[in-house]
Amino acid sequence: MNYKEYLMPVATMVVAMVVSANVAIAACATDGLPDSMEKPSGFPERALTMIVPYGPAGGSGQVAQAMAQAVTDLTGVAINRDHKPGGSGTVGMTAFMATPTDGYTVLEHIDDASSAHALDSGRPNPAEGLIPLVVSQITFSQIYIRENEDRFTDWNSFVEWVKAQDGKATIANVSKEGSMERVTMKFITDATGMKMQQISFDKGAPRYGALAGGQVDALFEQPGDVRKFLDAGKFKPILTVLKEAPAAFADVPSLKEAGLDFEPLFRFRGFYTHVGVPEDRVKWLQWAFQKAFCQKSYQDFNESKYMNLIESFRDTEGAKELITSTIKQYRDVYKEMGLEVK
Amino acid sequence: MQSFSNFLDGTIALFSDPLGILIFLGGVIGGMLFGAIPGVSMLTLAAILLPFTAHLSAEHGIMLFSVIYCTGVYGGAITAILFNIPGAPENAPTAFDGYPMTQKGLAGKAVGAAVMCSALGGTISAVIMMAATAPIADWAISAFGPPEIFALVFFGLTVAASVGAKTLWKGWLSILAGLMIAVVGLDPVGGIERYDFNMPYLLAGIHFIPTILGFFAVSEIFVQAEKKVTGVYKAPKLSVDFPSLAELIAHKFAVIRSIVIGFFCGILPGIGATLAAFMGYNEAVRWSKQRDEFGKGKLEGVISSETANNAATGAAMIPLLALGLPGGALTAMMVGVFQMHDMEPGPLVFLNSPELVWVVFAAMFFANLSILLIGFLETKTIINLLRIPFQFLAPLILLLATVGAYAVRGLVIDVVVMFVAGVVGFFLRRSGYSVAGIVLGLILGKIGEQTFAQAMQMLHFEWSGFIGRPIALSLLIAGILTILGSIYGAFFKRSHTEMPEHQG
Amino acid sequence: MGKLRIGHFVEAGLWLALAAILYIYSFEFEQSIEIYKYGATAWPRTIILLIVIAAVGQLLYHWERGDEATSGTIGAATDDGSHNAAIESGHSSFRWYLSTFTLLIIPFAYMRLPEWAMQAFGFDEGGLPTAKLICAVVLIVLYIFMTRRNHVGGMLALPVFFAALLEDMGFYATAPFFVIGVMLLMGERRPQWMILIGALIMGIMLFLFVSLLYVGLPTGNIHPFYDFGNWVVKLLQ
Repeated sequence: MNYKEYLMPVATMVVAMVVSANVAIAACATDGLPDSMEKPSGFPERALTMIVPYGPAGGSGQVAQAMAQAVTDLTGVAINRDHKPGGSGTVGMTAFMATPTDGYTVLEHIDDASSAHALDSGRPNPAEGLIPLVVSQITFSQIYIRENEDRFTDWNSFVEWVKAQDGKATIANVSKEGSMERVTMKFITDATGMKMQQISFDKGAPRYGALAGGQVDALFEQPGDVRKFLDAGKFKPILTVLKEAPAAFADVPSLKEAGLDFEPLFRFRGFYTHVGVPEDRVKWLQWAFQKAFCQKSYQDFNESKYMNLIESFRDTEGAKELITSTIKQYRDVYKEMGLEVK
Repeated sequence: MQSFSNFLDGTIALFSDPLGILIFLGGVIGGMLFGAIPGVSMLTLAAILLPFTAHLSAEHGIMLFSVIYCTGVYGGAITAILFNIPGAPENAPTAFDGYPMTQKGLAGKAVGAAVMCSALGGTISAVIMMAATAPIADWAISAFGPPEIFALVFFGLTVAASVGAKTLWKGWLSILAGLMIAVVGLDPVGGIERYDFNMPYLLAGIHFIPTILGFFAVSEIFVQAEKKVTGVYKAPKLSVDFPSLAELIAHKFAVIRSIVIGFFCGILPGIGATLAAFMGYNEAVRWSKQRDEFGKGKLEGVISSETANNAATGAAMIPLLALGLPGGALTAMMVGVFQMHDMEPGPLVFLNSPELVWVVFAAMFFANLSILLIGFLETKTIINLLRIPFQFLAPLILLLATVGAYAVRGLVIDVVVMFVAGVVGFFLRRSGYSVAGIVLGLILGKIGEQTFAQAMQMLHFEWSGFIGRPIALSLLIAGILTILGSIYGAFFKRSHTEMPEHQG
Repeated sequence: MGKLRIGHFVEAGLWLALAAILYIYSFEFEQSIEIYKYGATAWPRTIILLIVIAAVGQLLYHWERGDEATSGTIGAATDDGSHNAAIESGHSSFRWYLSTFTLLIIPFAYMRLPEWAMQAFGFDEGGLPTAKLICAVVLIVLYIFMTRRNHVGGMLALPVFFAALLEDMGFYATAPFFVIGVMLLMGERRPQWMILIGALIMGIMLFLFVSLLYVGLPTGNIHPFYDFGNWVVKLLQ
């Protein structure tokens, strides 16, 4: 093939130029995987179904859409997304567990599946009851205030102000007890000795609206979800729940800089298949989903969601480690909080 | 006029783009069709289309949904009138008088009135919307927090208790039953699992769309089936006898009143159009000299309810675009369309993409106008559905409803809930309870509990905090007065006398 | 006793019993929430209390006024003739209610029986589909047997049964039987019409929702229904 001979030097040149110019196009995590893989005895011969336990518009819906597109572009296999929202992801998980283990059904799920298992071991353990194909988004949380806020301007003045309010300061948070968000808020208030009233919002838009409209004093959220408000100069972060501040938020204090000593919890989203799917099919799915992570469309999507600030990729083994350590961490926290762990 | 030139720009942008015109027409026809096919509704169409809007531009996606909204609210009136199956909760009061009219052989008159009133209410509302969105947005963003919304929900429920049931107590029991159904699933503060009866799928909660389909579409089929089995069934009489202009002009006060009510109720987030329709109907009865004729096929009942709910469509866009607060199920899906395009409805939209807002406004204006043009043509076709023998129509409606219930969340439990609601509705309708009240309780119960919890958290669990919030306080007082007034009416007055006073 | 009838006591009794069951069940989720001192139970229990008040209020009202409608209520649901249809058709006898409620239990039996059977006989997970198939066949036979004498009850139960089978057997395999069943129960007896209209309805549904709009209707989870459903979808998409 002539064009390949022509392309190779060009590609090398481009790479060399990019590297020498020191432009930040980092090598992607799965560049080492082969560009194509033979379908194991014809699998998949029809469209895959991706069960998404959340609605199409939220963070999970969007990542499912982006990943499904990337896998289809890579392999030519169509993916039908099947949104089954409800019960903090429980309902989608239940529906997925009832489908046949032939590899045609994959599941999108977030760290809520891990915390749900930590609280009630009757719920499937995503590292053992499922096979993680890829974890494609890992992100951290921040605390936000309004950009035009004048009662406090940064983390230290915020803590001071909250303490002066005697428990009357408010922060908008999610509505699930024992979730990553609520546990982290507990860590923060315990570590600083702040007392503040959390206001529970089960949906994102009203939660952000409450901060924008002045109904609450602060907001707990992940940067990708409020990026619009950050870009529009409406919100600003005052604390990053990470040990070290990432470059994009270098001027926002991290846990270490704020003098808070606890292990941060992460929000992660990944894709799973059943235990019991024939091994060659699992291999193909792993290849497709991990390779798709490095498709340009998916990388662009992750970047737009601030999912490139910390390493967002885990392969099957990495995902299992992440899930197992997360479950252990939650279980310890729950016992400490006095929640009933089943 | 700044608004007018913006409107012209929006119109030009809308009609200079062939794909835009195509989507506009598709939305108009799709909304009417899905609104008018019994068993499915504009919500079904919207739920099916939601994932596909990702492939459209943001403008096209939002425009499509706003057009479906306008024409679907009108389309839902057709099934309410012809089959006693309101396409959406806001069409429920239309059925109170519309369906008796069909039974009397006056279907054409009722549908004709619905066409004209929908178009009129919607168009005027769209015009006010264009002028008023920005200033109202500025006011509401700080004035309406969770305590105000809770107070509004409370007031809405007290008004609804007097609609649709045989006695006041049955009205309240219906609403309380709805509130109780809303409790099933995760609680809105701690995500604690309530009333799941060890069925994991129940954790998703009971959605109002399958419940509406069950109570209205399925139970109606059961009632007809019983009549059919026992030989009581009579095919509805057909007519395409549209109302004359004079008949409509005779109701001009009802139309104007309903536009005002519809618009002001429509602004209220969460319950807008539904409350508008019920209030519009309620006020029509209250102002009328022939109260006893309502519920038995009075044209004014159809006119008041249909004008009010279409007048609410424009108004419902105000909290959506200005605050990001949806006024109902369809506007909630619009939030989804915005988010799929990486936008958050709210004041930012006005700043960042004013052209989008004006394309949407223009689309809604012309969608309402096109109801008038296409509505009459379509109605003449749709009305022929009544000629199909019922044993053939019934399985089609049941299957459409199955898809309609399933497509919203992809859960089989929703189909089960729908058919169980159908059975429950079949028995309740024999006994004077209000199925519309149950549905309203279900929709408002979720918002009510959530905003109550938020309000309490914000007011630090001190009830006296409501005193410091005048809007919330006056809504709560209005609600309490409504309850007292209706109890007074129920116990101390005989039937068919003065209506109990309540604060509007 | 004023204008009270036995039916009024039954009605109030049903509401109070419902309130009692819901109240007792509410202890299952009586948990404190760290950030909300009313917890998860305050809201439902308030509603339960209001239900009790309204049920008693209704009884008192019936005592004073009997079945009279309240002034100020609009558009009462009984106006649509469903009440009269029930009385005229004689479907308000105790025997009819008993037979109808038995029919209505059948779909719920399908949702629970297979798992109970599994536990009772100690089968492993893999036997669940077989248990479900056997239960389905037994219950369908029972349903047909009971429906022969109670068509209206059968009409009420059929859609619920259809919905209960949907997740396991899928839409594509069950819907044609459902359509034919509804027509039969509504008194249609001409086979050529049933097949023609049945095929037409299925054709409309499949074309509109599967080919045109790509709605992922349930394909079922049990072989061979699962394979059949996927085959249909692959054919149409």
